[in-house]
Amino acid sequence: MASIARNICISKTLNNITKLLGNITLQPNVISSSVVICKPRIYCSQHAFLHVTSKQNDLMEFFDHKDNWSEKEVKAGRPWFKSELRLKSNEDLHKLWFVLLKERNMLLTMEHAYNERFANMPSPERRDKVEKSMENLETVVRERNQAYHLLETGETGERPAKYVYNALGMRFFYRMTQHRIPKFMNKKWFKTHHFGFGGYAVRTFLRKYNEKQNNKERTKQRGQERYVLRLMQQFPNMDMDAVKKYWPDVDIEKLRNKEDIRGHFVPQ
Amino acid sequence: MSTRWYPVYQKGNPQLRVFLPNFWLKIVNPTMKQPKNVVQFHCSMEMTVLDVKQYLKKIYDVHPVQVNTRIQLGKIRPEPYKSILTKEEDVKVAYVVLPKDQTFEYPPLFEKDDTKDKNVTDDMAALEEAKKGFKAFIKRNKVPGTPGWFA
Repeated sequence: MASIARNICISKTLNNITKLLGNITLQPNVISSSVVICKPRIYCSQHAFLHVTSKQNDLMEFFDHKDNWSEKEVKAGRPWFKSELRLKSNEDLHKLWFVLLKERNMLLTMEHAYNERFANMPSPERRDKVEKSMENLETVVRERNQAYHLLETGETGERPAKYVYNALGMRFFYRMTQHRIPKFMNKKWFKTHHFGFGGYAVRTFLRKYNEKQNNKERTKQRGQERYVLRLMQQFPNMDMDAVKKYWPDVDIEKLRNKEDIRGHFVPQ
Repeated sequence: MSTRWYPVYQKGNPQLRVFLPNFWLKIVNPTMKQPKNVVQFHCSMEMTVLDVKQYLKKIYDVHPVQVNTRIQLGKIRPEPYKSILTKEEDVKVAYVVLPKDQTFEYPPLFEKDDTKDKNVTDDMAALEEAKKGFKAFIKRNKVPGTPGWFA
């Protein structure tokens, strides 16, 4: 009985389907869409550019391809741009990093071999290109990291840093690290790091050091002023906004009052 | 991770993973004769024995049996015509021992042609060019009573 009932059910469903099909036939648009068109995911024109090197996990990966051993020049493309890398997924970037890492190792090995022989390496700019790509990749990953951290925690997730004074009372940029023992508990560190810098010798040193720094700054400022003055001598109708933009520290009103600005000609 | 700022080690799992390692490794031609299954590397100064092992295993699919490292002191020599000493960079050398049945031999990179000889021929060609140019330069001109260079 059960089998018969099932048959009836099936026949019912079949009827429904035929009804549906009948309905469909009423709409010409639907029919056209029912025809399956196989679209290739990679177009043939693009397919031609798809190049996959054979996977080779071996120590010979540390050396260049055998055909390039005796070449004078090895053709290579350009480094990866940041804009290109921003379009890639995290997984792709991760893979690309290891490709670049292997390439760098290969180039280092070859460079060493040529240096040992006092010979010139063919196309040494390849290493710069790889380094540049790696640098770009790392900045892109860093951007994403920062964005993620800002979204989740409200902080950039970068290594924290601050300005601190050293034993000589000079400020420097200290990049903080994690420590096993908290600062207030670390007695040994407190013993070895004295924070007083009010002694006579330190004061003398700081005075002289600051004097030197000030002199350096002043000479730089004077040099800029002199340069702008000479420019104003030669080109009286110069665009002053541009000058202000390039040399913001130079006081142009002060220079205008100087006699030297006139140049070596009779004023008309 | 991307800031290359590593927190202190703590026991237990999951451990920290390095996603973008910036270690480098290069094969060098061994100066001393080595057994057939030993490969000599130069590596980043920060790398430890375990790092070298993991690096080769995970990235190159080479499974070393043993790795030994040492730090080679850079040569110290006096700078010519100056009263100062200069020191070359220290390098970390890693000796990687492969399994008994595997061997590695440093490939003959310069067997096919000698780049040195090529350079020599180029230099000779350049010298010939220079000689020709000089001969043209010292050739007497047609104007009487004027030096050779007067055109």
